[in-house]
Amino acid sequence: METRPLVRADLITGVILLVFGLAVLAESYGMPRLEERNINPWTAPGIVPGVLAIVIVILGAALALRSLAAGALRARSPLSEEEATEARAATVRLFTCGALCLVYATVLVGRLPFWLATALFVFAFIVAFEWNSADNGATRLRRIGFAAAIAAATAIVIPYVFEYLFLVRLP
Amino acid sequence: MFDGLIQLGSAFSTFANLITVFNVGWATLIGIIIGALPGLTATMGVALLTTLTYKMAPEQAILVLISVYVGAIYGGSRSAILLNIPGTPANAATTLDGFPLARKGLAGEAMGLATSASVVGTLIGVLFLAAIAPVLAEFALSFGSFEYFWLAIFGIVIAGQMTSFDDVLKGWIAGFLGLLVAMVGQEGIHAEPRFSFGNSDLAGGIGLIPALVGAFGLAEVLAVMKGRAAELATKAVDRVVPSFRTMWHYKRTIARSGVIGTIVGIIPGVGEDIGAWISYAAARRASKERALFGSGSREGLIAAETGNNAAIPGALIPALTLAVPGSAPAAVLLAAMLIHGIQPGPMIMIEAPDFVFQVVWMVILATIAMGIFGILLTRPLLTILLIPRERLMPIVFVLCVIGPYAITQRLFDVYVMVFFGILGFILREMKYPMAPLVLGIILGDLLDKNLRRALVLSDGDLTPFFTRPISAVLWITTALVIVLALPPVQRAVTRFMRWENP
Repeated sequence: METRPLVRADLITGVILLVFGLAVLAESYGMPRLEERNINPWTAPGIVPGVLAIVIVILGAALALRSLAAGALRARSPLSEEEATEARAATVRLFTCGALCLVYATVLVGRLPFWLATALFVFAFIVAFEWNSADNGATRLRRIGFAAAIAAATAIVIPYVFEYLFLVRLP
Repeated sequence: MFDGLIQLGSAFSTFANLITVFNVGWATLIGIIIGALPGLTATMGVALLTTLTYKMAPEQAILVLISVYVGAIYGGSRSAILLNIPGTPANAATTLDGFPLARKGLAGEAMGLATSASVVGTLIGVLFLAAIAPVLAEFALSFGSFEYFWLAIFGIVIAGQMTSFDDVLKGWIAGFLGLLVAMVGQEGIHAEPRFSFGNSDLAGGIGLIPALVGAFGLAEVLAVMKGRAAELATKAVDRVVPSFRTMWHYKRTIARSGVIGTIVGIIPGVGEDIGAWISYAAARRASKERALFGSGSREGLIAAETGNNAAIPGALIPALTLAVPGSAPAAVLLAAMLIHGIQPGPMIMIEAPDFVFQVVWMVILATIAMGIFGILLTRPLLTILLIPRERLMPIVFVLCVIGPYAITQRLFDVYVMVFFGILGFILREMKYPMAPLVLGIILGDLLDKNLRRALVLSDGDLTPFFTRPISAVLWITTALVIVLALPPVQRAVTRFMRWENP
């Protein structure tokens, strides 16, 4: 049987789902049955989450067992040089993007005025992704200037459009 | 019969004014741009505009949202043809023949065909919307708790099966995870908080729009930034006015794709993307020029673009009549209707019969605007595709933050968006479809209340779940879908087919 590329990830996901399902089942079982309110026992709040948890346990177990059968524990064929370089570059881009978004949404927004947080985020994002160590001073300055211009424009236009034209409140 | 026509006529009068023309115009244009930009999907577009139309009159707000929806599904064909990247998932099948056509120097013709196919596809779908929705609403009045329970299960199982191409298990996992997400917060019968762990924000439940903006907005931003940068196939554009002779030549394909797209749209949670794929596959099977498919077949392009647009009115049919969305953008529309005080469901033909026919007109108006913009604005739309992703994605993410916050003014919803963005991205990288997850979040409440109500009605007896006629149809279909998806059964079926036609 050929080894699917995701087979190891599937094994891990299957185990996580299994554990998650069991935890949800335990939590559902422990939910108040509201006996003191004399409710019909068939309407107890824990019933449906409990049933769903059992389904998740079954699906998670099926996923884990299937990936074991497909050779999840066998060695993987190594990537070629070119693939490895692209994979590394993709990971760097992904984590840079993820970190910037996370800091903006969970740290900056709500603590700083919205326009300032937005300007900082857009500026940092563009500079981080357009940064090229081969650039000379003038090109770099131009790129940074361009990023600042886009950041400023976003920070002015978006709050204006949302708050004044569409009467929506911003963080 | 004539009642329907009269109602259709009176519904039109709601929209015979300049405000309507203005709203349809800008909203369809924004939709096309959103669709054309990889990283911004139709779901995300409708979700964002829901916050913008918060203060509008209900029918104008829904008009704007439907225009965005129609525009976005069409707009995605632009990037599919020119960049080989589907602007929305619905245009994935369009890339197969659209991009090869563009590389042959026929980008203009391909865009013209996509425009006319999208227009015709939407119009075919809208005919079914006008014809089926009232009938289905009346039929749905006979649904009780048992039937709604099975409808929810059927929806999850079939959406999981159809939206996952090679791995049914992952579709179902996504669907049931969605149902579990819906369990968070106060439940609908006794208002008892579940899985809130003493947190009052969690007790309020997980909002659909924050979750969707995460799964379709942030996850998309992460995916776009992780991938390689796209390159335009061509900057030279030949004539973009669609050739009616080509369209007429493929009339059978168009009719078939329109019907397939609509039917796929009606199936809960299974939307435009699958509509396009199935239409494309059917067109290839029936085609005389099968060998051309995948290397620049006009027929393939037409089938995909008719199929995805026909699925839009299709997806609105169950959304309006059963409150079960036929696609992810329809799920947001459903939420938007509730925000604006319109209650979709079986009672809609009794409580607001005009509304269904108004929706018919909304789709028709948006389609007209889409056709006009599609032909007139080829060149300006080309420049939009040239915006580098490094400059566009941060702005998209700013919109992702504003969208969820604007509805409830809670920072908690921004965190929900971030959580679902990361979860959605991880699941997508592991090839889990997003549509069943979304459908699960919507159907969770329906499933929860109706299962428990049904158990009370039958006093814990399970037989009525299986013996009531509509229930029986639903559970037997569900069981068939599950059994046919099991690997041993599939192997047996394949062996049998080979034995039949060696």
